[in-house]
Amino acid sequence: MKRIKKTVSLLLMAILVVSLAACGGTATPPAGSGGASGGSAEAQPILIGHEVALTGGSALWGQSEKNALDMEIEKINAAGGVLGRPLKLIAYDNKAEQAEGVNVANRLVQDGVVAVIGPAQSGVGIAASAVFEEAKIPMIGTTATNEKLTVPEGQTEPLKYIFRACFIDPYQGSVAATFALEDLKVTKAGVLKDVGSDYSTYLAKYFIETFTANGGTIVAEESFRSDELEYKAQLSKIKDAGAELLFIPTMQKEAGLAMKQARELGMECYFLGGDAWASDELVQLGGAATEGGYFVNIASLEDPAIAQWVKDYTAKWGKAPTMPNPVLAVDGLLAVVEAIKATGSTDPTAIAEWLNDCKDVQVLTGKLTIDPASHNPIGKPAVIETVKDGKFVFHKGVTAK
Amino acid sequence: MNFSLIFQTLITGLAIGGIYSLMAVGYSLIFSILNFSNFAYGMVIMLASFMGYFAMSKLHVGMGIALFLAMVGAGTLSFFNERVAYSSLRKRHAPPLYFMISAMGTSIFLENMVYATIGSQYNAYPQIFAVPTIKIFGASLGKMDLFAIIFSIIAIYILNYFIQHTRTGISIRAASYDSTVAEINGVNLGAVIGLVFILAGLFAGISGVFLGIKYMAYPNMGWITNKAYVAAVIGGLGSLPGAVVGGIILGVLESFVSVYVSSTLRDVFSFGTLIIFLVFMPSGLFGKYLEEKV
Repeated sequence: MKRIKKTVSLLLMAILVVSLAACGGTATPPAGSGGASGGSAEAQPILIGHEVALTGGSALWGQSEKNALDMEIEKINAAGGVLGRPLKLIAYDNKAEQAEGVNVANRLVQDGVVAVIGPAQSGVGIAASAVFEEAKIPMIGTTATNEKLTVPEGQTEPLKYIFRACFIDPYQGSVAATFALEDLKVTKAGVLKDVGSDYSTYLAKYFIETFTANGGTIVAEESFRSDELEYKAQLSKIKDAGAELLFIPTMQKEAGLAMKQARELGMECYFLGGDAWASDELVQLGGAATEGGYFVNIASLEDPAIAQWVKDYTAKWGKAPTMPNPVLAVDGLLAVVEAIKATGSTDPTAIAEWLNDCKDVQVLTGKLTIDPASHNPIGKPAVIETVKDGKFVFHKGVTAK
Repeated sequence: MNFSLIFQTLITGLAIGGIYSLMAVGYSLIFSILNFSNFAYGMVIMLASFMGYFAMSKLHVGMGIALFLAMVGAGTLSFFNERVAYSSLRKRHAPPLYFMISAMGTSIFLENMVYATIGSQYNAYPQIFAVPTIKIFGASLGKMDLFAIIFSIIAIYILNYFIQHTRTGISIRAASYDSTVAEINGVNLGAVIGLVFILAGLFAGISGVFLGIKYMAYPNMGWITNKAYVAAVIGGLGSLPGAVVGGIILGVLESFVSVYVSSTLRDVFSFGTLIIFLVFMPSGLFGKYLEEKV
C-alpha cells in the first residue's frame, strides 16, 4: 500500500513538472510571433481574444458583444484587414465567473492572441488581469466599471497591460446621485445593494458619497447576497425610513424583482439604478413596477451617433444589440486596430504602450482618450434612460464633471 | 418600534417560510425512508417551475391547471429519478454516501440539461392577480402568498392524514422505521419507495410553481432548496411536522434579522443561530434518528 502511494505521488509530481514546463513553453511564443510580423507571416491572421460570458446570467450581453465583434471584424477584413493581414476573433466562454475567467485567460495566452477584448464583469476582469499582465498581453475590459481593475488596491500606478473602454463606478455612482438630487429633487434615499457583487457594493458606495456630500441623506442602506430573491424584509425597512428614492445598483434580475416587491409593499418612491439594468429581462421580471424607473447607462440605442451601426447590427443579427456591451467591445477593438496600424506591429507590448497615452482615437461611441495615470477613458458621456411603456427610453445625456 | 413594520416583517417571513416548509417536506419524506438527502430534489423543483411556466405562458392555461400539470410532471420525474439513479444502489445495499453522490450527479446533469436546451434566461410567470396585494393593519399581504400558504397547509394536512390513517401510509411509516423488518412483514418496499418519491415530487410541483409565480423560473433556482434543506434539519430530518415548523422558523428568523439586526449580517446571524441551536438539539426539534443524519 505504502509503495503504491509513493509511486502515485511520484507520478503526479512528474505530471506536474511536465505540465508546468509545457505552460512555460507556450507562454513565450505569442510575444515572439507577434514581433516577427515581417513578410513571411502575411497570410497569418492576427488573433484577437475575447473574454466573454456566452452562457449564464450575463449571456445576453456576452452574445451581443460577440455578434458585434464578429460583424466589425468581417467589415475590417472585407476592407483588406490590418497591415494586410486579416483579423480573427477567438472567443471563449467565461460564464461571468472568476475562476472561468482565469481559465479563459490562460487559453487565450496559449493561443497567442495580440490583445484581448473583455471581460465585461469587474470581478472576472480583476481575476483575469493577473494572467494578462504576467503574459504581457493588453486586455481592454468592456463594461468592467470597478476602478480597481486597472489600478489595483494599494497601488498608484495602473497595470501596464490592463485598460477599459467604459467609465468607472465612481463616475456612474456620482452621475446617479447628481441626477437624483438635481433632476428628481429628492433628499432622502434608500439603497438596496448586493453584497456578493463588487459592482454593486462600489456603485452603492460612490452613490452614497456623492449624495451625502451634496446635501442628501441616506435613510437606509440595506443589502442581500447574490442569487437571493426575497427582499421584502429589507424593503419594508427602507419604506419605514421614509425614502423618496430607492437606489438599486444590482443586476437586472435582482432589480426587477426588488422593484416588483417594493411596489407590492406599497412603496411609491423613485427607482434608480446602474447600467446593469439595461436588459429586457428587467421589464419582464419587474413588470409594471419598472415603469418610470431611471438608470445610468454607458450608451443608448437612440444615441444618434451610433444610429447607423445599430441599424447594421439589427439587419445582420435579426435583433437589436443588448446595450451597452457591444458598442464598448467594438470601441476596444477599434482602439487595438488603431494601435496596430499606428505602430505597424502586432507586438502586444507595443500595442499596450501605444494605448497607454492614446488621444482622440476615433471609435464607435466618439473619440477615445486614455488617461495614462489610470488607464480609464477620459470624458466618456453617460446617459440616463427611463422605462416607458415597457421600453428603455433615452431621458438625458450627462457628461463628466 | 412600529407595529405595522413588525407585522409586515412577520408576514414576509411567513410567506417565504411557507415555501421553505413545502420543500422541506419533500426532503424529509425521502430522508425518512432512504436515510439520505436527495440533493437532486432542488432540480425537480426547478423543472416543475419550468413546467408551470410553459403551461401558463405557452399553453395559456390557468394557475390551477398549471399547478396540476407541474405536480404530475414533477411526480413522474421524481419517480424516475429514484428508478434510474437510486434503485440499483438500494438493491445492492450501498451506503447513504453513494446515494448522495448519485443525487449530486443527477442534479448537475439536470441543471446543465436545462442550460443546454431551454437556456439561461429568467422567465417571469404571467401576472395572476390584477391587484396583487391586500392591506391589513398597514401591512401589505400578497394575494398569491396568501393563496400559497392556504394551499400548502391543505396539501401538508392531506399528506399527513394519508400517512397516518391509510394502509399505504402505515406501510410507508413501517418502511421508514425499519425497511428490512417491513419487507419481511410483507411490505412491497420497491412500491413504497416509488410512492414516496411520487409524493415528494407532488410537493416539488407545488413549490416549483409557487416559487416561479413569486419570483421566476430559471436554471439555477435549485439553490433555494439549500435553505429548505436547512429548514428540514432544524425541524429534524425525516419528520413532517418538523419540516413545516423548521421552514416557518427559518423564514421568520431571516425576515426579522434583516429588519432588526442587519440585512448584511442576515445569513451570518441566522445560520450562526442555527449552529448554536443544533449544538443543544442535535437531532432538530422533532428528529429521532440522530445517528443516521448526514
